[in-house]
This record gives sequence, structure tokens and C-alpha cells, in this order.
Amino acid sequence: MADKETVIGADTRISGEVRGDEDLVVRGRIDGRVQLTQNLTVEKGATVQADVDVRQLVVSGTVVGAIVASESVKLMSTARVVGDLASPRVMMEAGAAYRGRVDMGDIAAARAAVSSRVAQRPAASEKAAIRPAPPRMAMPGKVVVAGKAAAPVAPTTAARSTAPAVAGAAAPASPPAFPRVAGAMGGMAPAWAKKKIRRR
Amino acid sequence: MAKEKDTKPMANTVIGSSIVIDGEITGEESLTILGTVKGKISVAQNLVVESGATVEADVEAQTVTVSGRLTGNVVARERIELKPESKMVGDAKSPRIVIADGAGFKGNVDMDV
Repeated sequence: MADKETVIGADTRISGEVRGDEDLVVRGRIDGRVQLTQNLTVEKGATVQADVDVRQLVVSGTVVGAIVASESVKLMSTARVVGDLASPRVMMEAGAAYRGRVDMGDIAAARAAVSSRVAQRPAASEKAAIRPAPPRMAMPGKVVVAGKAAAPVAPTTAARSTAPAVAGAAAPASPPAFPRVAGAMGGMAPAWAKKKIRRR
Repeated sequence: MAKEKDTKPMANTVIGSSIVIDGEITGEESLTILGTVKGKISVAQNLVVESGATVEADVEAQTVTVSGRLTGNVVARERIELKPESKMVGDAKSPRIVIADGAGFKGNVDMDV
């Protein structure tokens, strides 16, 4: 037992939360959150994509995330770091790449900011769920334009409005209605509409 | 290679006794756990759960050696070994399974026969 030292090997990846009261050396990858009362060393070639809350941080590899170190942060010459950094002592070697804000003052406030960021995480996944919506919104728009182009043709518009209502039962019957509506538009909308009805 | 050497010197990843990991560990190398891991573990080489360690996870590895406490389903491509004093709850699936005198085990054993 190499006295109380945790090592994440080069070919190992952890996604989730790592907490503890001992030194941690990362040669592989951690995604998520790291919270230690002791020191974190991110070696060359290692990637930590996580919010980090430790005592001392030494980076030779890559760190992306908010960093809070109660004692010190040292970015070695090979370090690549993106994220706000809060620590009373911050050292950067020549060659270190860093983007973010440095705060050598109020560590407690920075720590609170990090934990609130963690609390906001679910919002990010909600965003991801919303993202597929825009294409769906855009398609009806095209259909509307097609409807305008064929505005004089009142019967087809009526057929279209009734089609969704019976979509479940009359799915085979409805596709012929669409080519008539958007015939002038090159048939893009009908293809989409057919697919959508079939899916249902 | 020195596979019989209990895999400990080969372990490239070590989770220390005060470390708690909540999430997923995946790797191409060996993993030794002295602390606590909850979630999922998938390693290409050997997993060693040392005495004092607690693992609550579904495990997939080449060989799994348990001296501590393991809760979860274990699939080992080569071997599962429960040492004396170990406690395991969950299903064990492996072509070779060794349960030492004194080990505690509750669950199904599947040796693919």
C-alpha cells in the first residue's frame, strides 16, 4: 500500500463524483466532480473535466472546470486549464495555458458558486432535451408557406386539417393529400409529413 | 505474466481507503479498491477489493478478487475469488469461482455449465 495515495491509472476513466481525505493522482481521466481535503495532482496526459475542490492542486495535464483550492494551485509548463480558479496562492509556470478568472481572495464565495453550479446541472440536461424541438418547429413553418402558395385551394387545406385528427386510423389515406398541397414547393414538406404520420 | 502474484503490484489504479467514488469507473488496466465505490465498474484487467473496502456496484472484469465487501452483480471473464473474511451479495458469473473458507456469499452462481 503506497502510503495513502490514490492513483487513477492512464487507461482508467471515472465519471461521477470522487470524494476523499487523501492525496489523489490522476493519470487517466475524471469527469464529474472531485472533492478532497488533501492534494490533487493531474499528471501530464491526464484529463480532469470536473469541478475541483481540494487543498493543493498541481496540474501538468488538462483540467476543465471550476477550481477551488484552499491552499494553492500550481500550473506546470505542460498544463492546459480552462475554468475559474480560486485559491490564496496561485503559481503558473512559463508555458502553462490557462483561460478563466483567478480569485485569490474569497475562497468561501467561490466554493459556494461551485456548489450552486453543481445544483444547476439538471438544467443543462433539460436544455439538451429541448434542443431537438427547433427542427420540428421549422417544418410546420414550411408547410404553412406551402399552404399560402396554394391558398386558393381551400378543399386541400381542409383535407389537411382533418388528416391529423384521423391520422391514426386513416394513415394510408392521408399521404395523397399532402403532395397536392405542396406540389409547387418541390415535395419536401410531404416527404417529412408522411414520415411523421408513419411514425405515429 | 505474474498473474498469480495476486495482481496487486500490477494495479495501475488504486482507490485509497478514504476515497468515495460515486459513479462509473472504466479502464483498460487493473484496479485496486481500498475505499468505497458506488455505481459501476468495468475494467479490462483485474479488480481487487481489499479488506476494508466497500463496493456497491455492478462489476465486469477479467478477474475479481474480493477481500472486503462487495454488493452487486459480478461478471468475470476468467475468475472470481472470494477470500476469507470477504462478504459478497449479488450474482456471480464466471467460468471459475473460488470461495474460501470463511467467506460470506449470498446470490446466484453461474459458471456457464
